[in-house]
Amino acid sequence: MAELGVTLGRLRLRNPVLAASGTFGYARELAGVVDFSLVGGVIPKTVTCQPRLGNKPPRTVETASGMLNAIGLDNDGLEHFIAHHLPYLRGLPTAIIANIAGKSEAEFFEMGERIGREAGLAALELNLSCPNVSGGVDFAIDPAVTRRVVEGVRKVCPLPLIAKLTPNVTSIVPIAQAAADAGADAVSLVNTFIGLAIDWRKRRPILGNVTGGLSGPAIKPLALRMVWQVARQVRIPVIGIGGIASIDDVMEFLIAGATAVQVGTANFYDPTACTRLASELPAALAQLGASHMSDIIGTLDA
Amino acid sequence: MKDMSAAFIQMRVPVERNQPVARNTYLLRFRAADMARSIKPGQFFMVRLPQGSDPLLGRPFALYDTVLDETGTPVGIDFVYLVVGKMTSRLSQLRPGDELEVWGPLGNGFPDLADVEHVGLVAGGIGQTPFLAYARSLRGQRGYGDAALRKQPARVSIYYGVRSADLLAGVADFQATGAAVHIAAEDGSAGFHGRVTGLLADHERPQHLVGCGPEPMLHALADLARAWKVPCHLSLETPMACGVGICFTCVTPVRTADGWDYRRVCIDGPVFDAACLAWTE
Ligand SMILES: Cc1cc2nc3c(=O)[nH]c(=O)nc-3n(C[C@H](O)[C@H](O)[C@H](O)COP(=O)(O)OP(=O)(O)OC[C@H]3O[C@@H](n4cnc5c(N)ncnc54)[C@H](O)[C@@H]3O)c2cc1C
Ligand SMILES: Cc1cc2nc3c(=O)[nH]c(=O)nc-3n(C[C@H](O)[C@H](O)[C@H](O)COP(=O)(O)O)c2cc1C
Ligand code: FES
Repeated sequence: MAELGVTLGRLRLRNPVLAASGTFGYARELAGVVDFSLVGGVIPKTVTCQPRLGNKPPRTVETASGMLNAIGLDNDGLEHFIAHHLPYLRGLPTAIIANIAGKSEAEFFEMGERIGREAGLAALELNLSCPNVSGGVDFAIDPAVTRRVVEGVRKVCPLPLIAKLTPNVTSIVPIAQAAADAGADAVSLVNTFIGLAIDWRKRRPILGNVTGGLSGPAIKPLALRMVWQVARQVRIPVIGIGGIASIDDVMEFLIAGATAVQVGTANFYDPTACTRLASELPAALAQLGASHMSDIIGTLDA
Repeated sequence: MKDMSAAFIQMRVPVERNQPVARNTYLLRFRAADMARSIKPGQFFMVRLPQGSDPLLGRPFALYDTVLDETGTPVGIDFVYLVVGKMTSRLSQLRPGDELEVWGPLGNGFPDLADVEHVGLVAGGIGQTPFLAYARSLRGQRGYGDAALRKQPARVSIYYGVRSADLLAGVADFQATGAAVHIAAEDGSAGFHGRVTGLLADHERPQHLVGCGPEPMLHALADLARAWKVPCHLSLETPMACGVGICFTCVTPVRTADGWDYRRVCIDGPVFDAACLAWTE
C-alpha cells in the first residue's frame, strides 16, 4: 500500500488530510463518530487572546453550492483554550495544530509565546486572514505585515508555523513569499472569499454582519488556481483548502501542488468526511501507480 | 461543561412514504432502526439529499414519532415538514425508494417531568412537530430510547395555534394520545380566534409549560409563564448549518454567572429552560 506520510518543514503528518479551523469545533463534538487516528491532523477553531462573543445571528447562509459565514471568532479566549480544550486535544491520536488570531502584531507574539510553551501541539497555524472581525485583522493582505508577524512568532515559539492566507488580495504569491522568507514551515490557503447575500424583498443583507466569507464547493476552482500559483513560485509547502469534499477534490489539490489539504465546509454536511477521504486516498494513488505522496504532489502537466 | 461526545449515527436511508398532511405540509417516513431505537422526544436529526451540492447543507428536523414493527421494535422515523424553501420543496418531491442522508439523534430533548401532573404543550405552526412523541411519553403510552415507560401518566393539554385551519396537521394523532387538544387560528377559521398564547391564557394553568414555534410566540409564552410563575421549557428552531456543534451558526444568548454568552442550540439545546434565555441581548 502507498505511503501516505507527508512532511511540511518541521511538521510530519501521517497522512495529508486535515480538518480545517472553524469547521471541526474543538474535535470533542465529533468524538462519537470520527476515528481521529485515521485523520492526518485536526485544527481546532481559531483562538483569540481575550474571549469574544462573536457576531450577531444570522451567522451563516447557504448560497449556490456554498455558504457565507460571519461567525466572528466566537471563542472563550486563549487561557480557556489552554485550560479546557488543550488537555482533551493533546490526548487524541492525531496531530493537533492550534490556530490563533491576534488583534495586533504584539498580540500574535504574546499568544505565540504562551501557546509555544504548551506540550502536545504538532504545529501552530496563524490565522492572518479572518475576514469577519471588524477592526480588520486581515494581516495577510500586506506582505510586509505578514513577514513581521511570522518572523516575530518564529522567534518566540518553537512550534512549526503555518501561515494561513486570505484569498481576498490582488496577488497572493508575494504574500506567500513573505511568509516563506520569514521562516514559515508552510502556508495554508485559502480562507474564505468575502461575499454578500441579500434579501431583496426586505432590502436587507441576510447576515447580521452584512458581509461574510464564502466557502464550500463554489470556491474550489479559485482555491485550486491559487494553490497552483503559490506552489509553483514559493519554495515552502502549501496546504490546499477550498471546497474539498470528495477524493477527486483531494487529488486535484495534490496534483496542483498542495502537500496536504484541509477539509472545511464538507464537515458540516458530512461529519465523517475527513476519515472517508483519508481512507480513499490509497486507491486513488494506486490509480496513478504512485507509491509515495511525492510521486503526485505538484505533478500537474501544464 | 458537559461531555459533548454523545454518539450519533450517520447513514443513508430509504424513504418509505412521503404524503401531504396539510397545506404545504408533508409527513416523511424513513427506515433507520438504529436511530429509531435511540432517539427521544425533542431530539432532532439532520437531513440531506445524497446527490449534488445545491442544496449543500443538511437541514434539521424534529422527531415526529418513531415507527414500530409488528413486534413493537422501533424500525423507522417519521418527520413532518412545512415547505418553505430550497430543501423542503425538494423533499416534497421524493418518492418511496428515494434515498436521504441523515445523521442523528442530535440535541438534548425534552425534560422528562416525571413528577409533574399536568403539562401544557404549546405549539405555534410547524412547531407542533416535536410534541406527538413527547405527549405519548408523558401519557405513558410509549418509551423512547432507554427511558422506561412512565408509570403515572401525566395530564397533557396541547395548545396548537396556526395562521389558518388548512395548516392544521396531526390533530387526530395528538387526540389519540389522550391529550386535551385546543386549537387557535389567527384568521378565525378554526377553534379560538387569535393567537395560541391568547388561547392558553383562557385556560387552567398547567404545572409546567413546554413551547415550540416562531420566536415571537416563544417570547409571549415565556412572558406568560413568568407572570404565572409556571416553569417553562422552550424548543428553539434557530437555523443550523451542521447540527452537531462544529460551526457556531445556531447560537442563542443564554444567561451566565456574569452576564450572558452565546450557546450552540444544536448541542446545548434545542430545549432550554425559558428562564435561562437572554433574549434581550
Ligand atoms: C431543531 C430544529 C428542528 C426543526 N424541526 C422541524 C420540523 O420538524 N419540521 C419543519 O418543517 N421544520 C423544522 N425545522 C425548521 C427547518 O429546519 C427549516 O424549515 C428548513 O431548514 C428549511 O429549509 P429549506 O431549504 O426548505 O429553506 P431555505 O431555502 O433554507 O430557507 C427558506 C426560508 O426559511 C427561512 N428559514 C430557514 N431555516 C429556518 C429556521 N430554522 N427557522 C426560521 N426560518 C428559517 C430562511 O431564512 C428563508 O427565509 C426545525 C429546525 C430546527 C433548528
Ligand atoms: C463557519 C466557518 C467558520 C470558520 N472559522 C474559521 C476560523 O475560526 N479560523 C480559520 O482559520 N478559518 C475558519 N474558516 C475557514 C476554513 O477553515 C476554510 O479555510 C474555508 O472555509 C475554505 O475551505 P472549505 O471551502 O473547505 O470550507 C471557517 C469557515 C467556515 C465555513
Ligand atoms: S448548527 Fe453548527 S454548531 Fe449548531
